[in-house]
Amino acid sequence: MRGYRLGRLLVTLLAVGGLTLVGVGIARLPPRPPQPDAAGLPHRAAAAPSLPPLPRAEPVEVRIPRIGVRAPLVSVAADAAGALEVPPLDRPGVAGWYRPGASPGELGNAVVVGHVDSPAGPAVFFDLGRLRPGDTVHIARADATVVRFAVDGVEAYPKDGFPTDLVYGPGGAVGLRLITCGGRFDQDRGEYVDNVVVFATRTA
Amino acid sequence: MKATKVLVPVAGGIALGALLLPGAALADTTVSPSTTPVGGTVVLTATTCSPSAGDAIFHVTGPDRDQNVRSTTVAAGGGLSAELFTAGFTLGTYTVAATCGDGTSDGSATFTVTPIGGAQAGGRDGSGGGTLVAGATLLATSLGGAVILARRRRHAAEAATL
Repeated sequence: MRGYRLGRLLVTLLAVGGLTLVGVGIARLPPRPPQPDAAGLPHRAAAAPSLPPLPRAEPVEVRIPRIGVRAPLVSVAADAAGALEVPPLDRPGVAGWYRPGASPGELGNAVVVGHVDSPAGPAVFFDLGRLRPGDTVHIARADATVVRFAVDGVEAYPKDGFPTDLVYGPGGAVGLRLITCGGRFDQDRGEYVDNVVVFATRTA
Repeated sequence: MKATKVLVPVAGGIALGALLLPGAALADTTVSPSTTPVGGTVVLTATTCSPSAGDAIFHVTGPDRDQNVRSTTVAAGGGLSAELFTAGFTLGTYTVAATCGDGTSDGSATFTVTPIGGAQAGGRDGSGGGTLVAGATLLATSLGGAVILARRRRHAAEAATL
């Protein structure tokens, strides 16, 4: 009888502990970032007014009114392994401008990268997947100009199938590419399996 | 005299056209692909250089580079080609200017060296999933224990009634 009581106590403790951990686990599961439409959206530039390219100038801030982003920009390049650097994770509200490429407003594609989330929760580009064609992106530059872009499309790509040419490639237009993570979170690898890319063209 | 008056505007027009259409002057040298992740290989081709005139020289200049590459292959579509391996290249845009074996220029082209792959732009804390799994394991164990206890109790009750 004593053994039975002990067993019942153990089972009760296990159940209480299990329920507690499940509750804590659910509460700690981070929100999943919004994704682009499954069918994908065209990334061809809409007809934009003919604007002369601007001279090179360092960008200092990115604003995306549709998703409430207003973030400072820092310069990034590539790490020793050749992968694109990202802003420091302890500053999840900051986005990074790819310095070896075009600056926003110059001829070519300017590239801006930002975290989708951090251990503290959603980061600067968490809602990037919610953008749709026609949404606007404003980049303020160190020369006091503000370059406006219109979104042409938003797509998700597996990281091992990243469209290097579409993102960094030379083009005859003044473009902008915003990059963050997306898709499924791979618990084993500790990372998202996709990159979300926003394609935009200068409008003003 | 008449011929001179006609030729000057025509020559001026051609020169102006060349200035307005720089792409036309660049078309004789190609780089494929025009964008490569660092460490990739691009093929440089001087399309109008004659192999019989000797090797073509590709002068590659960019963020950290000023080097000559000698052609190694007769290009399938005409001209001379060389492969360029971009390991160790600094990211950025490079210009390739080709000179044929006879010393004539074959124009120039550009290519861009980019980062490899996508961006690691996520940093979420995945421990919520681990906690969830641990909790589910404890619950399953307690359920198993409850089943065992119930069976023992039933067997004990049956034995007492015999």
